[in-house]
Amino acid sequence: MRDRDIDDALNRAAGASPDVDPALLGRIASSIGASLQPVRPLPPSGVLVAALIVVSVAVASAGAAILGFHGIQAMNAVEIALIFPVLLALIGLAAAACVGEMVPGSRRRVAPWVLLASGCLALTAVFALLFTDYRTESFVSQGVACLKAGLLHAIPTAVVSWWVLHRGFAVNSLAAGVAVGTLSGLAGVSMLELHCQNFEVPHVMVWHTAVLALSGAAGALVVSAGRFLRWK
Amino acid sequence: MLGTAEGAAVLNRTILTQPSLAPPIRHFLGDNWMTALFSMDSDIGIESLMARYQQGDFTAATALVNQLSPQLHRFFLVQFVSRRYADDLLQETWLRIHEVRHTYRPGQPVLPWLYAIARHIRVDHYRKARRTEIREQSLDENLDIPQQAGAAEAKTPDLEAILATLPESQREVIAMLKVAGMSLEEVARATSSSVGSVKQKAHRAYEKLRERLSGIGVRSERKGEPS
Repeated sequence: MRDRDIDDALNRAAGASPDVDPALLGRIASSIGASLQPVRPLPPSGVLVAALIVVSVAVASAGAAILGFHGIQAMNAVEIALIFPVLLALIGLAAAACVGEMVPGSRRRVAPWVLLASGCLALTAVFALLFTDYRTESFVSQGVACLKAGLLHAIPTAVVSWWVLHRGFAVNSLAAGVAVGTLSGLAGVSMLELHCQNFEVPHVMVWHTAVLALSGAAGALVVSAGRFLRWK
Repeated sequence: MLGTAEGAAVLNRTILTQPSLAPPIRHFLGDNWMTALFSMDSDIGIESLMARYQQGDFTAATALVNQLSPQLHRFFLVQFVSRRYADDLLQETWLRIHEVRHTYRPGQPVLPWLYAIARHIRVDHYRKARRTEIREQSLDENLDIPQQAGAAEAKTPDLEAILATLPESQREVIAMLKVAGMSLEEVARATSSSVGSVKQKAHRAYEKLRERLSGIGVRSERKGEPS
Protein backbone atom coordinates (compact mmCIF):
# COMPACT_ATOMS: atom_id res chain seq x y z
CA MET A 1 0.00 0.00 0.00
CA ARG A 2 1.41 3.35 -1.08
CA ASP A 3 1.05 6.80 0.46
CA ARG A 4 -1.46 7.74 -2.24
CA ASP A 5 -3.67 4.81 -1.25
CA ILE A 6 -3.54 5.87 2.39
CA ASP A 7 -4.43 9.40 1.28
CA ASP A 8 -7.42 8.02 -0.62
CA ALA A 9 -8.59 5.96 2.35
CA LEU A 10 -8.24 8.95 4.69
CA ASN A 11 -9.97 11.31 2.29
CA ARG A 12 -12.87 8.89 1.80
CA ALA A 13 -13.20 8.41 5.55
CA ALA A 14 -12.88 12.14 6.29
CA GLY A 15 -15.42 12.93 3.60
CA ALA A 16 -18.12 10.96 5.37
CA SER A 17 -18.26 13.52 8.16
CA PRO A 18 -21.16 13.23 10.59
CA ASP A 19 -23.24 16.42 10.63
CA VAL A 20 -23.12 18.73 13.59
CA ASP A 21 -26.50 19.26 15.21
CA PRO A 22 -27.92 22.48 13.64
CA ALA A 23 -29.47 23.33 17.01
CA LEU A 24 -26.00 23.29 18.54
CA LEU A 25 -24.69 25.63 15.85
CA GLY A 26 -27.68 27.89 16.48
CA ARG A 27 -26.94 27.97 20.21
CA ILE A 28 -23.28 28.81 19.55
CA ALA A 29 -24.19 31.57 17.09
CA SER A 30 -26.74 33.12 19.44
CA SER A 31 -24.38 33.03 22.43
CA ILE A 32 -21.73 34.76 20.31
CA GLY A 33 -24.25 37.27 19.01
CA ALA A 34 -25.37 38.17 22.52
CA SER A 35 -22.04 39.80 23.29
CA LEU A 36 -20.75 40.72 19.85
CA GLN A 37 -18.90 44.02 19.89
CA PRO A 38 -16.15 45.32 17.62
CA VAL A 39 -12.72 44.54 19.02
CA ARG A 40 -9.35 46.09 18.36
CA PRO A 41 -6.86 43.49 17.07
CA LEU A 42 -3.50 43.16 18.78
CA PRO A 43 -0.77 45.44 17.45
CA PRO A 44 1.64 43.90 14.92
CA SER A 45 4.21 41.50 16.38
CA GLY A 46 7.05 43.90 15.54
CA VAL A 47 5.52 46.59 17.74
CA LEU A 48 5.11 44.23 20.69
CA VAL A 49 8.62 42.82 20.29
CA ALA A 50 10.06 46.34 20.13
CA ALA A 51 8.10 47.32 23.25
CA LEU A 52 9.46 44.32 25.17
CA ILE A 53 13.04 45.08 24.06
CA VAL A 54 12.63 48.69 25.20
CA VAL A 55 11.24 47.56 28.56
CA SER A 56 14.15 45.15 29.15
CA VAL A 57 16.81 47.66 28.12
CA ALA A 58 15.15 50.41 30.15
CA VAL A 59 14.96 48.32 33.34
CA ALA A 60 18.60 47.18 32.97
CA SER A 61 19.84 50.72 32.25
CA ALA A 62 17.78 52.28 35.05
CA GLY A 63 19.06 49.69 37.52
CA ALA A 64 22.66 50.23 36.46
CA ALA A 65 22.18 54.01 36.60
CA ILE A 66 21.06 53.71 40.22
CA LEU A 67 23.78 51.22 41.26
CA GLY A 68 26.52 52.65 39.03
CA PHE A 69 27.91 51.72 35.60
CA HIS A 70 31.05 50.24 37.15
CA GLY A 71 31.01 47.07 35.05
CA ILE A 72 30.91 48.60 31.60
CA GLN A 73 33.45 51.24 32.64
CA ALA A 74 35.90 48.49 33.62
CA MET A 75 35.44 46.51 30.40
CA ASN A 76 37.66 46.84 27.34
CA ALA A 77 36.27 47.48 23.85
CA VAL A 78 36.31 43.80 22.82
CA GLU A 79 34.40 42.77 25.93
CA ILE A 80 31.80 45.48 25.36
CA ALA A 81 31.55 44.63 21.66
CA LEU A 82 30.89 40.96 22.38
CA ILE A 83 28.87 40.85 25.60
CA PHE A 84 26.23 43.50 24.88
CA PRO A 85 25.39 42.51 21.29
CA VAL A 86 24.96 38.90 22.46
CA LEU A 87 22.70 40.07 25.28
CA LEU A 88 20.72 42.29 22.90
CA ALA A 89 20.30 39.44 20.41
CA LEU A 90 19.11 37.11 23.16
CA ILE A 91 16.70 39.78 24.43
CA GLY A 92 15.33 40.16 20.89
CA LEU A 93 14.84 36.39 20.54
CA ALA A 94 13.22 36.16 23.98
CA ALA A 95 10.91 39.09 23.19
CA ALA A 96 9.87 37.40 19.92
CA ALA A 97 9.29 34.15 21.82
CA CYS A 98 7.11 35.97 24.38
CA VAL A 99 4.98 37.56 21.66
CA GLY A 100 4.73 34.26 19.78
CA GLU A 101 3.49 32.47 22.88
CA MET A 102 0.80 35.08 23.49
CA VAL A 103 -0.64 34.99 19.96
CA PRO A 104 -2.27 31.63 19.10
CA GLY A 105 -1.09 30.05 15.86
CA SER A 106 2.14 32.03 15.70
CA ARG A 107 5.17 30.54 14.01
CA ARG A 108 7.47 29.21 16.73
CA ARG A 109 11.08 29.57 15.67
CA VAL A 110 12.51 28.29 18.92
CA ALA A 111 10.86 26.75 21.97
CA PRO A 112 11.23 28.94 25.10
CA TRP A 113 13.03 26.22 27.10
CA VAL A 114 15.46 25.72 24.23
CA LEU A 115 16.04 29.48 24.17
CA LEU A 116 16.59 29.50 27.94
CA ALA A 117 19.14 26.68 27.77
CA SER A 118 20.84 28.17 24.69
CA GLY A 119 20.97 31.59 26.37
CA CYS A 120 22.66 30.15 29.46
CA LEU A 121 25.16 28.25 27.31
CA ALA A 122 25.87 31.26 25.08
CA LEU A 123 26.50 33.55 28.05
CA THR A 124 28.73 30.95 29.73
CA ALA A 125 30.71 30.56 26.50
CA VAL A 126 31.11 34.33 26.06
CA PHE A 127 32.26 34.79 29.66
CA ALA A 128 34.68 31.86 29.37
CA LEU A 129 36.05 33.30 26.15
CA LEU A 130 36.54 36.87 27.37
CA PHE A 131 37.56 36.67 31.00
CA THR A 132 40.76 35.09 32.26
CA ASP A 133 40.73 35.70 36.01
CA TYR A 134 40.04 32.31 37.63
CA ARG A 135 40.28 33.43 41.26
CA THR A 136 37.29 32.76 43.50
CA GLU A 137 37.53 35.46 46.15
CA SER A 138 34.31 35.95 48.13
CA PHE A 139 32.68 33.61 45.66
CA VAL A 140 29.47 33.05 47.61
CA SER A 141 28.99 36.44 49.28
CA GLN A 142 29.59 38.47 46.11
CA GLY A 143 27.74 35.91 44.04
CA VAL A 144 24.62 35.98 46.19
CA ALA A 145 24.65 39.81 46.08
CA CYS A 146 24.75 39.71 42.26
CA LEU A 147 22.09 37.01 42.12
CA LYS A 148 19.77 39.07 44.33
CA ALA A 149 20.35 42.26 42.33
CA GLY A 150 19.80 40.46 39.01
CA LEU A 151 16.59 38.77 40.15
CA LEU A 152 15.29 42.00 41.67
CA HIS A 153 15.61 43.62 38.25
CA ALA A 154 14.02 40.63 36.57
CA ILE A 155 10.83 41.08 38.61
CA PRO A 156 9.84 44.54 37.30
CA THR A 157 10.73 43.44 33.76
CA ALA A 158 8.44 40.43 34.12
CA VAL A 159 5.60 42.55 35.51
CA VAL A 160 5.82 45.18 32.76
CA SER A 161 6.26 42.52 30.05
CA TRP A 162 3.19 40.71 31.31
CA TRP A 163 1.27 43.96 31.20
CA VAL A 164 2.43 44.60 27.60
CA LEU A 165 1.23 41.12 26.66
CA HIS A 166 -1.90 41.00 28.82
CA ARG A 167 -4.26 41.26 25.84
CA GLY A 168 -2.75 38.15 24.29
CA PHE A 169 -3.83 34.60 24.94
CA ALA A 170 -1.33 31.89 25.83
CA VAL A 171 -2.43 28.49 24.56
CA ASN A 172 0.58 27.05 26.39
CA SER A 173 0.86 29.07 29.57
CA LEU A 174 3.91 27.14 30.80
CA ALA A 175 5.85 28.03 27.65
CA ALA A 176 4.70 31.63 27.97
CA GLY A 177 5.90 31.69 31.59
CA VAL A 178 9.34 30.37 30.58
CA ALA A 179 9.56 32.92 27.74
CA VAL A 180 8.72 35.88 29.99
CA GLY A 181 11.05 34.52 32.70
CA THR A 182 13.86 34.24 30.14
CA LEU A 183 13.34 37.79 28.93
CA SER A 184 13.26 39.10 32.48
CA GLY A 185 16.37 37.14 33.41
CA LEU A 186 18.21 38.62 30.43
CA ALA A 187 17.28 42.11 31.66
CA GLY A 188 18.72 41.16 35.06
CA VAL A 189 21.95 39.84 33.49
CA SER A 190 22.26 42.99 31.37
CA MET A 191 22.00 45.13 34.46
CA LEU A 192 24.73 43.03 36.12
CA GLU A 193 27.03 43.37 33.11
CA LEU A 194 26.57 47.14 33.22
CA HIS A 195 27.08 47.31 36.97
CA CYS A 196 29.23 44.44 38.30
CA GLN A 197 32.98 44.91 38.03
CA ASN A 198 33.86 41.46 39.34
CA PHE A 199 35.23 39.73 36.24
CA GLU A 200 36.34 36.52 37.94
CA VAL A 201 35.39 33.71 35.56
CA PRO A 202 33.69 31.47 38.18
CA HIS A 203 31.70 34.46 39.46
CA VAL A 204 30.27 35.58 36.12
CA MET A 205 29.83 32.07 34.78
CA VAL A 206 27.94 30.80 37.82
CA TRP A 207 26.15 33.73 39.41
CA HIS A 208 25.38 35.96 36.43
CA THR A 209 24.19 33.02 34.35
CA ALA A 210 22.19 31.75 37.33
CA VAL A 211 20.05 34.90 37.16
CA LEU A 212 18.87 33.83 33.70
CA ALA A 213 18.37 30.18 34.62
CA LEU A 214 16.50 30.95 37.84
CA SER A 215 14.37 33.61 36.25
CA GLY A 216 13.27 31.23 33.47
CA ALA A 217 12.55 28.52 36.02
CA ALA A 218 10.64 31.03 38.16
CA GLY A 219 8.46 31.89 35.17
CA ALA A 220 7.51 28.22 34.80
CA LEU A 221 7.01 27.88 38.54
CA VAL A 222 4.71 30.89 38.80
CA VAL A 223 2.53 29.56 35.98
CA SER A 224 2.45 26.07 37.49
CA ALA A 225 1.52 27.48 40.90
CA GLY A 226 -1.23 29.55 39.28
CA ARG A 227 -2.61 26.46 37.54
CA PHE A 228 -2.48 24.45 40.77
CA LEU A 229 -4.31 27.15 42.73
CA ARG A 230 -6.94 27.51 40.00
CA TRP A 231 -7.70 23.79 39.97
CA LYS A 232 -7.60 23.35 43.73
CA MET B 1 -19.42 49.98 -7.20
CA LEU B 2 -19.28 46.92 -5.03
CA GLY B 3 -17.04 43.93 -5.73
CA THR B 4 -18.48 40.42 -5.73
CA ALA B 5 -17.35 39.68 -2.21
CA GLU B 6 -18.62 42.98 -0.87
CA GLY B 7 -21.89 42.48 -2.72
CA ALA B 8 -22.43 39.07 -1.15
CA ALA B 9 -21.57 40.49 2.26
CA VAL B 10 -24.09 43.29 1.82
CA LEU B 11 -26.67 40.74 0.67
CA ASN B 12 -26.05 38.62 3.76
CA ARG B 13 -26.37 41.65 6.02
CA THR B 14 -29.51 42.77 4.25
CA ILE B 15 -31.18 39.40 4.68
CA LEU B 16 -30.37 39.25 8.34
CA THR B 17 -31.42 42.78 9.11
CA GLN B 18 -34.61 42.93 7.03
CA PRO B 19 -37.29 40.86 8.77
CA SER B 20 -39.60 41.04 5.76
CA LEU B 21 -36.98 39.60 3.42
CA ALA B 22 -35.46 36.99 5.68
CA PRO B 23 -38.21 34.35 6.07
CA PRO B 24 -39.02 33.82 2.38
CA ILE B 25 -35.38 33.65 1.34
CA ARG B 26 -34.50 31.39 4.25
CA HIS B 27 -37.47 29.16 3.36
CA PHE B 28 -36.36 29.07 -0.26
CA LEU B 29 -32.81 28.14 0.66
CA GLY B 30 -33.80 25.55 3.27
CA ASP B 31 -32.17 24.79 6.62
CA ASN B 32 -28.67 25.41 5.39
CA TRP B 33 -29.51 28.89 4.20
CA MET B 34 -26.36 30.40 5.56
CA THR B 35 -24.18 27.75 3.95
CA ALA B 36 -26.02 28.26 0.69
CA LEU B 37 -25.57 31.99 0.86
CA PHE B 38 -21.98 31.53 1.80
CA SER B 39 -21.29 29.32 -1.21
CA MET B 40 -22.63 32.05 -3.51
CA ASP B 41 -19.20 33.52 -3.48
CA SER B 42 -16.25 31.31 -2.78
CA ASP B 43 -14.02 34.40 -2.76
CA ILE B 44 -15.29 35.29 0.69
CA GLY B 45 -12.42 33.65 2.53
CA ILE B 46 -12.45 32.79 6.17
CA GLU B 47 -9.75 35.42 6.71
CA SER B 48 -12.06 38.21 5.58
CA LEU B 49 -14.94 36.70 7.56
CA MET B 50 -12.72 36.68 10.62
CA ALA B 51 -11.77 40.31 10.09
CA ARG B 52 -15.47 41.21 9.81
CA TYR B 53 -16.25 39.15 12.91
CA GLN B 54 -13.69 41.27 14.79
CA GLN B 55 -15.55 44.35 13.58
CA GLY B 56 -18.75 43.03 15.18
CA ASP B 57 -20.44 41.61 12.08
CA PHE B 58 -22.90 38.93 13.23
CA THR B 59 -23.36 37.54 9.71
CA ALA B 60 -19.64 36.85 9.46
CA ALA B 61 -19.60 35.25 12.92
CA THR B 62 -22.50 32.95 12.00
CA ALA B 63 -20.90 32.06 8.67
CA LEU B 64 -17.66 31.16 10.44
CA VAL B 65 -19.50 29.00 12.98
CA ASN B 66 -21.37 27.19 10.21
CA GLN B 67 -18.35 26.73 8.02
CA LEU B 68 -15.73 25.71 10.56
CA SER B 69 -17.73 23.79 13.17
CA PRO B 70 -18.02 20.48 11.26
CA GLN B 71 -14.27 20.12 10.88
CA LEU B 72 -13.64 21.26 14.46
CA HIS B 73 -16.21 18.74 15.70
CA ARG B 74 -14.50 16.02 13.69
CA PHE B 75 -11.16 17.09 15.09
CA PHE B 76 -12.50 16.45 18.60
CA LEU B 77 -14.18 13.19 17.59
CA VAL B 78 -10.95 11.68 16.28
CA GLN B 79 -9.39 12.28 19.69
CA PHE B 80 -11.63 9.47 21.01
CA VAL B 81 -14.20 11.58 22.72
CA SER B 82 -17.89 10.81 22.64
CA ARG B 83 -20.15 12.85 20.39
CA ARG B 84 -21.66 14.56 23.42
CA TYR B 85 -18.23 15.46 24.73
CA ALA B 86 -17.22 16.71 21.27
CA ASP B 87 -20.32 18.93 21.30
CA ASP B 88 -19.24 20.39 24.65
CA LEU B 89 -15.70 20.95 23.40
CA LEU B 90 -17.01 22.61 20.25
CA GLN B 91 -19.18 25.01 22.25
CA GLU B 92 -16.38 25.84 24.63
CA THR B 93 -13.96 26.38 21.76
CA TRP B 94 -16.27 28.90 20.12
CA LEU B 95 -16.82 30.72 23.40
CA ARG B 96 -13.06 30.96 23.89
CA ILE B 97 -12.57 32.05 20.30
CA HIS B 98 -15.15 34.74 20.94
CA GLU B 99 -13.32 35.91 24.08
CA VAL B 100 -9.93 36.09 22.40
CA ARG B 101 -10.97 37.05 18.87
CA HIS B 102 -8.87 40.22 19.16
CA THR B 103 -5.72 38.04 19.14
CA TYR B 104 -6.34 37.11 15.50
CA ARG B 105 -4.34 39.36 13.20
CA PRO B 106 -6.14 40.30 9.98
CA GLY B 107 -4.34 38.88 6.96
CA GLN B 108 -2.88 35.93 8.85
CA PRO B 109 -4.18 32.37 8.25
CA VAL B 110 -7.20 31.65 10.46
CA LEU B 111 -6.92 27.88 10.78
CA PRO B 112 -3.64 27.73 12.76
CA TRP B 113 -5.04 30.35 15.16
CA LEU B 114 -8.34 28.49 15.49
CA TYR B 115 -6.81 25.03 15.94
CA ALA B 116 -4.26 26.31 18.44
CA ILE B 117 -7.21 27.43 20.58
CA ALA B 118 -9.11 24.18 19.95
CA ARG B 119 -6.07 22.16 21.07
CA HIS B 120 -5.81 24.29 24.19
CA ILE B 121 -9.45 23.61 25.04
CA ARG B 122 -9.02 19.88 24.48
CA VAL B 123 -5.87 19.68 26.59
CA ASP B 124 -7.48 21.81 29.30
CA HIS B 125 -10.51 19.53 29.39
CA TYR B 126 -8.31 16.48 29.50
CA ARG B 127 -6.38 17.85 32.46
CA LYS B 128 -9.55 18.81 34.32
CA ALA B 129 -11.07 15.42 33.64
CA ARG B 130 -7.96 13.67 34.85
CA ARG B 131 -7.92 15.72 38.01
CA THR B 132 -11.52 15.00 38.82
CA GLU B 133 -11.13 11.32 37.93
CA ILE B 134 -13.67 11.57 35.16
CA ARG B 135 -10.89 10.49 32.87
CA GLU B 136 -11.21 6.90 34.08
CA GLN B 137 -14.87 6.79 33.08
CA SER B 138 -14.32 8.45 29.74
CA LEU B 139 -11.47 6.06 28.96
CA ASP B 140 -13.78 3.11 29.65
CA GLU B 141 -16.37 4.62 27.35
CA ASN B 142 -13.85 5.53 24.73
CA LEU B 143 -12.26 2.11 24.65
CA ASP B 144 -15.51 0.94 23.10
CA ILE B 145 -15.16 3.25 20.12
CA PRO B 146 -12.40 1.44 18.26
CA GLN B 147 -13.89 -1.94 19.19
CA GLN B 148 -17.28 -0.99 17.83
CA ALA B 149 -15.68 0.51 14.81
CA GLY B 150 -13.55 -2.57 14.36
CA ALA B 151 -16.57 -4.82 14.48
CA ALA B 152 -18.35 -2.79 11.86
CA GLU B 153 -15.30 -2.30 9.68
CA ALA B 154 -16.00 -2.77 6.04
CA LYS B 155 -13.98 -1.62 3.04
CA THR B 156 -14.25 2.00 4.11
CA PRO B 157 -13.89 2.30 7.87
CA ASP B 158 -14.62 5.69 9.39
CA LEU B 159 -11.86 8.12 10.23
CA GLU B 160 -12.03 7.51 13.97
CA ALA B 161 -11.51 3.78 13.43
CA ILE B 162 -8.65 4.32 10.99
CA LEU B 163 -6.85 6.65 13.36
CA ALA B 164 -7.54 4.50 16.43
CA THR B 165 -4.10 2.90 16.44
CA LEU B 166 -2.16 6.16 16.26
CA PRO B 167 -0.65 7.94 19.24
CA GLU B 168 -2.41 11.19 20.17
CA SER B 169 0.16 13.54 18.64
CA GLN B 170 0.13 11.71 15.29
CA ARG B 171 -3.67 11.46 15.28
CA GLU B 172 -3.89 15.19 15.85
CA VAL B 173 -1.53 15.95 12.96
CA ILE B 174 -3.38 13.63 10.56
CA ALA B 175 -6.72 15.12 11.61
CA MET B 176 -5.49 18.64 10.89
CA LEU B 177 -3.96 17.65 7.56
CA LYS B 178 -6.86 15.52 6.33
CA VAL B 179 -9.97 16.86 8.05
CA ALA B 180 -9.12 20.55 8.14
CA GLY B 181 -7.03 20.43 4.96
CA MET B 182 -4.28 22.46 6.56
CA SER B 183 -0.77 22.71 5.12
CA LEU B 184 2.30 21.42 6.98
CA GLU B 185 3.22 25.01 7.83
CA GLU B 186 -0.25 25.69 9.24
CA VAL B 187 -0.20 22.51 11.33
CA ALA B 188 3.23 23.50 12.64
CA ARG B 189 1.83 26.87 13.70
CA ALA B 190 -1.24 25.34 15.33
CA THR B 191 0.81 22.83 17.29
CA SER B 192 3.66 25.25 18.14
CA SER B 193 6.18 22.95 16.53
CA SER B 194 8.43 22.93 13.48
CA VAL B 195 7.46 21.83 9.98
CA GLY B 196 10.09 19.08 10.28
CA SER B 197 8.46 17.73 13.40
CA VAL B 198 5.03 17.72 11.71
CA LYS B 199 6.48 15.92 8.69
CA GLN B 200 8.07 13.34 10.95
CA LYS B 201 4.81 12.72 12.82
CA ALA B 202 2.88 12.43 9.56
CA HIS B 203 5.48 10.02 8.17
CA ARG B 204 5.32 7.81 11.26
CA ALA B 205 1.54 7.95 11.21
CA TYR B 206 1.52 6.83 7.58
CA GLU B 207 3.79 3.91 8.44
CA LYS B 208 1.34 2.76 11.10
CA LEU B 209 -1.66 3.39 8.86
CA ARG B 210 -0.06 1.34 6.10
CA GLU B 211 0.08 -1.66 8.41
CA ARG B 212 -3.41 -1.09 9.72
CA LEU B 213 -5.12 -0.50 6.40
CA SER B 214 -3.30 -3.42 4.77
CA GLY B 215 -4.38 -5.57 7.71
CA ILE B 216 -8.07 -4.77 7.28
CA GLY B 217 -7.95 -5.09 3.51
CA VAL B 218 -8.55 -1.50 2.43
CA ARG B 219 -7.62 -1.16 -1.24
CA SER B 220 -7.08 1.79 -3.48
CA GLU B 221 -10.05 2.86 -5.55
CA ARG B 222 -7.77 3.55 -8.49
CA LYS B 223 -8.46 0.96 -11.14
CA GLY B 224 -5.58 -1.06 -12.45
CA GLU B 225 -3.16 0.12 -9.77
CA PRO B 226 -1.55 -2.49 -7.60
CA SER B 227 -1.86 -1.70 -3.89
